[in-house]
Amino acid sequence: MIEVKDLVRQFKSGDRTIKPVNGVSFELERGTLASIVGKSGSGKSTLLSLLGALDKPTSGDVVVDGVSLAGLPDSKLTEYRRRDIGFVFQQFNLIPNLTALDNVMLPMEFAGVRKAKRLQRAKELLEQVQLDPEKQTRKVNRLSGGEQQRVAIARALANEPKLILADEPTGNLDEQTGEHIIELLSSLSRDHNTTILVVTHDRSLAQKTERCFRLQQGRLTEEARKGSLR
Amino acid sequence: MSVLARSVGNAFRNKIRTAAVVAVLAVAIGLALAMLVANQAVGAKVQELNASVGTTLTVNPAGGQGFEGGGEPLTTAEAKTAAAVTNVTSVVGTKALRLRTATTGSTTDTTQAAGPGGAAPGGQQTNVTTNLTAAIDAGTLGNRNNGSTGTGTGTGTTGTQPARSLPITATGIGAEVDSAGKALAITSGTGLGDYTAASAKALVGTTLAEKNNLKVGSTFTIEDKTFTVTGIFDAGTTFGNNAVYVTLPEAQALAATPDELSSMIVTVNSMDNVDSTKTAVQNALGASKADVTQGQRNLATAVSSLGSVRNISMVAFIAALATAGIIILLIMVMLVRERRREIGVLKAIGARNRTIGLQFVLEALVLVALGSVVGAAIASFASGGIASALISSNTTTTTAGPTQRGGGFGGGGFGGGGQGGPFGGASQLLTSVTATASPGVIAIGIAAVFAAAIIGALIPALLTARVRPIEVLRGE
Repeated sequence: MIEVKDLVRQFKSGDRTIKPVNGVSFELERGTLASIVGKSGSGKSTLLSLLGALDKPTSGDVVVDGVSLAGLPDSKLTEYRRRDIGFVFQQFNLIPNLTALDNVMLPMEFAGVRKAKRLQRAKELLEQVQLDPEKQTRKVNRLSGGEQQRVAIARALANEPKLILADEPTGNLDEQTGEHIIELLSSLSRDHNTTILVVTHDRSLAQKTERCFRLQQGRLTEEARKGSLR
Repeated sequence: MSVLARSVGNAFRNKIRTAAVVAVLAVAIGLALAMLVANQAVGAKVQELNASVGTTLTVNPAGGQGFEGGGEPLTTAEAKTAAAVTNVTSVVGTKALRLRTATTGSTTDTTQAAGPGGAAPGGQQTNVTTNLTAAIDAGTLGNRNNGSTGTGTGTGTTGTQPARSLPITATGIGAEVDSAGKALAITSGTGLGDYTAASAKALVGTTLAEKNNLKVGSTFTIEDKTFTVTGIFDAGTTFGNNAVYVTLPEAQALAATPDELSSMIVTVNSMDNVDSTKTAVQNALGASKADVTQGQRNLATAVSSLGSVRNISMVAFIAALATAGIIILLIMVMLVRERRREIGVLKAIGARNRTIGLQFVLEALVLVALGSVVGAAIASFASGGIASALISSNTTTTTAGPTQRGGGFGGGGFGGGGQGGPFGGASQLLTSVTATASPGVIAIGIAAVFAAAIIGALIPALLTARVRPIEVLRGE
């Protein structure tokens, strides 16, 4: 269960105060596939960074399985990101000079998983996201956008996180690859009981999620709530 | 993939930049190592000089002029007087004998001469016979004096030797030092034991031993007395090795001058006190009785010059080391700034600050390791030239005009030939410094370079801790 309580993030820009996230509250049950839509600059990525403990809120709190992130020291937030969060970024954010396997193994290395075990799991995950075996040992900068996104998703799953935060996961992909990614995320949510929150411009993607939120001028409203896609 | 493997991979991400960085580092590291090699070489030379020359004064009879004689002989009582002077730590008396091979005839006159190296100018030297053959041929220079008795110029002797043979120097010593006060380098056997008592033991120079087939335990005669070789020494010079050492009382007995000394070697407690002690000894013995000379005066100048070179090379070593550290610092700061987003990614997926910091430090060390390999090669080729350039540029003024007394026929006795002791002058000393890049010195230098690199890389590594994970979203 993820509870977001009256979350505010504000910045100073000259004399002005900007609040990309202004009093956002919502709850997500474990295993939910949800989406947040909104215009560019509406604060979607900022909200995602607050949920993923990449940034700290000005006020409010995020509670994950009863643990409040507010007031946790940086070391505990690092541990939270390592153990409980999987990120899928719009720009993939893979380490370019490492292979697909190495990229997927990185979070496991940081979590102290033994080398043999992390190699085996990385291979399994890359198979799961349907990356050809011969491409697993290629440097990621030699893979296509869709392949890189699949590697990024495999990396996000490496430590079996409770929550996957995906920022425009299909933004750089063609329609067909985007569809495949959505199906993959749905199956993850369904098969692994993983909560997935997707930030997107893509209405068709949003319509395929169980819950859809709209972020507008820093405020979140729920647009649609339907039965599980499962 | 481990942190180390990732660091190595990162170091080669941009091969052209890596090559450029390694080249710049190699120059700095090479210079640092060359300076360290020069510093060690000069330091070793200074140590050698100090150990060789020490803080000694030489006391000779006043007015003594080599073969010509002159002056009154020194006595053991005067040795005691010198020993009582403040700051004097020891006084070693010597008695010089001149051994002539029995078959070439002998004379009984006395001449003034030097001990090995000409370091005992004006000492009373007694001619005695021996069954040994000199290891040095008379040669052209020696045969020019064939018409004389070989007792030196101005003695007024007559007669022609059928075949000129150079004499052998025998010196009675009161301690295990040569006539210049330098510790004897015994290459086989042992010393004479008690140097204050007469004994039929002798130390023989290497070339003399070779010439006469002498080994430890062999015997020979001086004035029909049989001596046993207890040790063979290497004086480092042909002249010095054509010599015999016996105990001081034995030499005095052979010369039938039991109380006389040819010279005294006075050791002062520190170099700072040498000048004042020289004056004090001179005053204690009287200017009309003894000449006190400071053998190391020009050496002190040379040592001082070498000290300057040593200081300069150390400063240059530290400066080059600091330069290498600064190069690493700047490169790594640049890399941290360039990879802010990547650092953000690593933090976003759970990397600890120390893991990221370690990765950057290791990456810096990979660059330094490459630079060290090239730098060590540069140093091994350049250190000799750099050391020579340093020495020549710092000693041109100080090597001129050595002030050491002694040497030559006029002042030092036969065979001295201006050697002036174990060294032939400051300029020779300085040019004899050889800087070779030994593995040990290179290892020490590289360890210092790595230490500087770690310090240089720590700052950028700490900077990575300040990069916030939100950087991962920069540009998205």
